[in-house]
Amino acid sequence: MDRTVDWRAIEAQPEFRELQEKRRRFVVPATVFFLGWYCGFVILAGYAEGFMGEEVLVDGLTVGYLLALTQFVMVWGLGWAYLRYCDRVLDPLRERVLARAGEVAEGTATDAAPVRDRVETPR
Amino acid sequence: MTVLAADINELALSIFAVVLGVTLVITYWASRRTRTATDFYAASRGITGVQNGFAIAGDYMSAASFLGIAGLIFLYGFDGFLYSVGFLVAFLTVLFLLAERMRNAGKFTMADVLTFRLKQRPARSAAALGTLSVAAFYLIAQMVGAGVLIQALVGIDFSLAVLITGTAMLCYVVFGGMIATTWVQIIKAILLMTCTIILSILVVVEVGSPWDLFSKAREESPLGDAYLAPGQFLTSPIDTLSLGIALVLGTAGLPHILMRFFTVPTAKAARSSVVWAMALIGAFYIMTTALGFGARAILGEGGVEAAGSGGNLAAPLLAEELGGGPGTVGGDIFLAVVAAVAFATILAVVAGLVLSASGAVAHDIWSNIIRHDRDSEAEEVWAARVAAVAIGLIAIAIAIVGGEGLNVSFMVGLAFAVAASANFPALLLALTWRRFNTTGAVTGALVGIFSSIILIIVSPNVWPGAASETGSPIGWTLANPGIVSIPLGFIGCWLGTMLSRERTSEERWHELVVRSETGLGAERAVTH
Repeated sequence: MDRTVDWRAIEAQPEFRELQEKRRRFVVPATVFFLGWYCGFVILAGYAEGFMGEEVLVDGLTVGYLLALTQFVMVWGLGWAYLRYCDRVLDPLRERVLARAGEVAEGTATDAAPVRDRVETPR
Repeated sequence: MTVLAADINELALSIFAVVLGVTLVITYWASRRTRTATDFYAASRGITGVQNGFAIAGDYMSAASFLGIAGLIFLYGFDGFLYSVGFLVAFLTVLFLLAERMRNAGKFTMADVLTFRLKQRPARSAAALGTLSVAAFYLIAQMVGAGVLIQALVGIDFSLAVLITGTAMLCYVVFGGMIATTWVQIIKAILLMTCTIILSILVVVEVGSPWDLFSKAREESPLGDAYLAPGQFLTSPIDTLSLGIALVLGTAGLPHILMRFFTVPTAKAARSSVVWAMALIGAFYIMTTALGFGARAILGEGGVEAAGSGGNLAAPLLAEELGGGPGTVGGDIFLAVVAAVAFATILAVVAGLVLSASGAVAHDIWSNIIRHDRDSEAEEVWAARVAAVAIGLIAIAIAIVGGEGLNVSFMVGLAFAVAASANFPALLLALTWRRFNTTGAVTGALVGIFSSIILIIVSPNVWPGAASETGSPIGWTLANPGIVSIPLGFIGCWLGTMLSRERTSEERWHELVVRSETGLGAERAVTH
């Protein structure tokens, strides 16, 4: 289906470039951050047993356990932030790309995915 | 303790029967909605984001998470919790790099996305091999685990337990396809969460306060202060890192998890389903602290022997104790409920695995490679059902013949290593690296699969030697191959690509980029 869509033309759109750019601007730093923070935690658990075993705040609560909890907070925080970023920035931009694409490939449905069957209407 | 008694636990058996009955009724309902290949593989793409979030949680949280992690924390303290963290953080990889792209570019299987712009026959064969190896290792591990656990908890024989699990799993998949599998996974997620929440609350009540959990657990452990610090189970730092990386990248290469993204109507739903799954899975893994440290605080060192190898029975024993202790009505009921939840847990995971493996055989190998996409939809569904039966029977046979002697953690490690070293690099590069081509995909997948398998075969887990030494014939000391095999997988992809003169279709690359980013031209949901 949609054999007539000019993918190359859509990819060349400034809106599409912006969409890719804005996705990267979130995903790349977020991925570097979470992999770094996670690997850092695992490396500390491996090489700094003493530090990770130190107790803080209350009896029996260790630095290691607190740092493990920060991983949970990180996952939920980044997940929530990504959903918000998509809703506010990426989705509106994507709608614009699809609307433009509707002009580029005439007749292609312009609503958000999934795309309706393309109806061949001769103009 | 009563847990290991040879006699049959009738109460647990009746709760099993109820779980089976309910899921089979759902399967019957689902079977009447399963006609096309889209129904069979992708539940008509009609699963909502929230439902899919629960189903992902149900697909992912295996008995190894529920019983295994609680057991490791019970025995070794902090190190068990490292697994919990790794299994959860993995979903950020899935969310940021794959979930939406899978939905937009794919149809039924991981290979659809991987081979989108590559030569179908070689690339699909490699992708199907990756899918099948991961699914096979994971499936056999789960089946053996099921047999061992049900034997211990309910008292029925190992082989019979494997047979019951396998038959139920095949019924869901063959008759109800993805629709039945999804609802089994949703129900299992709800049962598992409810059970874990109740047990955690009871643990905290019993211990006094959440903060007393650690100090009381430490009092009961002969390890003393070291019990709350890392290094008791995962003794080699480099091995710990290797394991951690394999968990975080391997999840993004598990075919049964990736397949779930084809069941939702849009990429937006795929994205929100990952975040729902994160909320559920995260809450569950935090509560493994209460189960594991709670088991230590409440059962003490006396529970170690009864908890069996790896401490797998620590959580059921804890439940029995919280219900009133062995021999009491409350204790029996709690034990039976936990046993039934563990059973439901295994069923949901194995059904998802068989479905993804049958997709690799029927959709990738039969329909695309052998029949060149010229087969009818009815033929593909038929082939998928036959494939599911064959895969299921082989897994049942291997589990029964291999028996309890098969090392479960070894095979789970293998599944994650192959997923991270073969599937993940090829999939990621196929979606993001313009130059990537068929040769790269094939070399990368093969290097990833074989390096993981070889490095695990020579690992100290297979060749146990004297303490602090390895019996490995080549002196290999890493138990987890990830830190070596994942880079090898990426290098294989790169080298294969560079050495080939193949030019991939430019037009298909533009289509893949635009489609995965915008959802234009993505597979649609169907309504009956």
